[in-house]
Amino acid sequence: MNVSTIYRYSYLFKQKKFLETISKHSLLRYVRTSEVVNHGEFEYQDPKSEEDVVNVTYIDKDGKSNAVRGKVGDNVLYLAHRHGIDMEGACEASLACTTCHVYVESSHLDLLPEADDKENDLLDMAPFLKENSRLGCQIILSKELDGIQLQLPKATRNFYVDGHKPKPH
Amino acid sequence: MAARGLRGLLGARPRSTTTATAPLCPREAVQDAALDAAEDAVDALPYEQMPGPRPLPLIGNTWRLLPVVGQYQVSDLARVSALLHQQYGDCVKLSNLVGRPDLVFVFDADETERVYRHEGPTPFRPAMPCLVSYKSEVRKDFFGYLAGVVGVHGEAWREFRSRVQRPCLQPQTVRSYIGPIEDVTNCFLQRMQEMRDDRGEMPADFDNEIHKWSLECIGRVALDTRLGCLDADLPPDSEPQKIIDAAKFALRNVAILELKFPFWRYIPTPLWTHYVRNMNFFIEVCTKHIDRAMERLATKQDGELSVVERILAEQSDRKLAYVLALDLILVGIDTISMAVCSILYQLATRPDVQDKMYAELERVLPDTDEPLTARHLDQLAYTKGFVKEVLRMYSTVIGNGRTLQRDMTICGYRIPKGVQLVFPTVVTGNMARYAGRADEFLPERWMKNHDPSLDVHPFASLPYGYGARMCLGRRFADLEMHVLLAKLVRKFRLEFHHPPLDYQVTFMYAPEGELRFKLVER
Repeated sequence: MNVSTIYRYSYLFKQKKFLETISKHSLLRYVRTSEVVNHGEFEYQDPKSEEDVVNVTYIDKDGKSNAVRGKVGDNVLYLAHRHGIDMEGACEASLACTTCHVYVESSHLDLLPEADDKENDLLDMAPFLKENSRLGCQIILSKELDGIQLQLPKATRNFYVDGHKPKPH
Repeated sequence: MAARGLRGLLGARPRSTTTATAPLCPREAVQDAALDAAEDAVDALPYEQMPGPRPLPLIGNTWRLLPVVGQYQVSDLARVSALLHQQYGDCVKLSNLVGRPDLVFVFDADETERVYRHEGPTPFRPAMPCLVSYKSEVRKDFFGYLAGVVGVHGEAWREFRSRVQRPCLQPQTVRSYIGPIEDVTNCFLQRMQEMRDDRGEMPADFDNEIHKWSLECIGRVALDTRLGCLDADLPPDSEPQKIIDAAKFALRNVAILELKFPFWRYIPTPLWTHYVRNMNFFIEVCTKHIDRAMERLATKQDGELSVVERILAEQSDRKLAYVLALDLILVGIDTISMAVCSILYQLATRPDVQDKMYAELERVLPDTDEPLTARHLDQLAYTKGFVKEVLRMYSTVIGNGRTLQRDMTICGYRIPKGVQLVFPTVVTGNMARYAGRADEFLPERWMKNHDPSLDVHPFASLPYGYGARMCLGRRFADLEMHVLLAKLVRKFRLEFHHPPLDYQVTFMYAPEGELRFKLVER
């Protein structure tokens, strides 16, 4: 490690800006290039043009419809968070739970890429499983999904009980 | 889609209450909560009436050896629990345990499902008293509030877990480790070739080599470094050798500390002192390598972030990365290496299965030396099914545990909070009630479009647990095992020409004895 590195390193620490520096610059820089880490910020951006718009209808467990204007590239889970739809996503798209379980109405079901093993393994354990079950966090909007309808199941009952709802991050 | 459609819905999923039947039956609208309330109102039998052995006679003194149930399981628990099931039925109470709460064994996968589903946000998973004591007392100064995921509960656990969960489990991140794990595995295979004796067999202590491979893999993931444990002729005072020794010590002696009467709780026995010194050494190693990773990160210009880097970049406290690395190492060496011992043994003793795996690998990887990619791994359905099938029949971690956070009715008995539930996946995974042709080894049952009569109840075989406390390292464990099998079986045939080995629980459930595999070039 050369002197300038040490200097830079300790300087950053002294300034107590290390965290901010790292997260605002380095991390974002990597994120944008690799798209590995999405915390849902992307879904909070409005569609840039009409061509980008993908209309999504969420039907909640009481049968009420919510029409939402999403855009190409949106993750269905985070999009739901943005619009206050009751889709939980307790594990934040880590594929560790089934709280973003949705039913995809038939005309759009076959347009989705097939679920991989990890998603299927989890769906096997989802309550109220149906033939058209998918995990919302694995659905990324594309233009051809325009008009997709997603029905929320009666219950997910996975991580949270007693009506507790985790706050979206 | 087809796999699940058949597996979950049309297939004969035995007696699952909430999942399989719900969409098809008119009671769909009945919610779990309502079910709960109804159940509570029904006359549940009092806890006292639950069957179970009276303290001493039936299972002798084995119960004395039961430590806290969790990740680390116990001497004869596999056999004992199968015996308990035969004798007493689906729900068995083991009470009057000295200095510890009652254990209730649950052999009913539907009940297991219900318990898991109804957990609150911070399920209590009892684990490893040694580690708990080390973290919360001996080195309280180091661990503080956010003491990791193993042996930690409640809010402190939830906070830590939610900060590390995504980097550890997100498939995108895990996928970027295919190359690094493949490099480690290539070194390991090279070493296996060099180690062959004149009969082409591995040495008697081949399990040690497997431990080194898993140590090297976990070092690559948790510490972002090649520790160098697979190098030949390591000097005794070199870091890799010291790490190997420390891992070996942990492997052998934690069992003794936790299974025998815990004198260390009252006086610092020599073994305990050694344990503490050993743990301190691990902390030292983690700190050193994480600090180096931090230096690299500070100067890193571009490229994808590793797990360690993601955590360092996202969290203000570097301690979090130290502690996570320590947890991953402590639970990621013996679990995976014992699972691999078991997997290789099953592979070597099932030539027909190995042939099918080879056929798949030959198809997916026409060129033997082609580097593995996610696309290759995605196609290895039989190989992955093989791993699942080994874990169903011989689950390395023989069960999972939960401390009840509130009173609950299970199998018709009212169980008070504080009782420890045990879900012995190694028993339920093998029950004819929950798996078609349960006593046959059939990797096909995990593949798409399989015969639905081979279905396994989704809560009967859970080698990685379930829900919020599901194994944090499972994606890496699976990746390591898949890569090892792909590289090994593509090039070599593994054989075993010795009397069959017995499976035993020495903390983990694995074949006991010398793994003198014969390695033959294809």
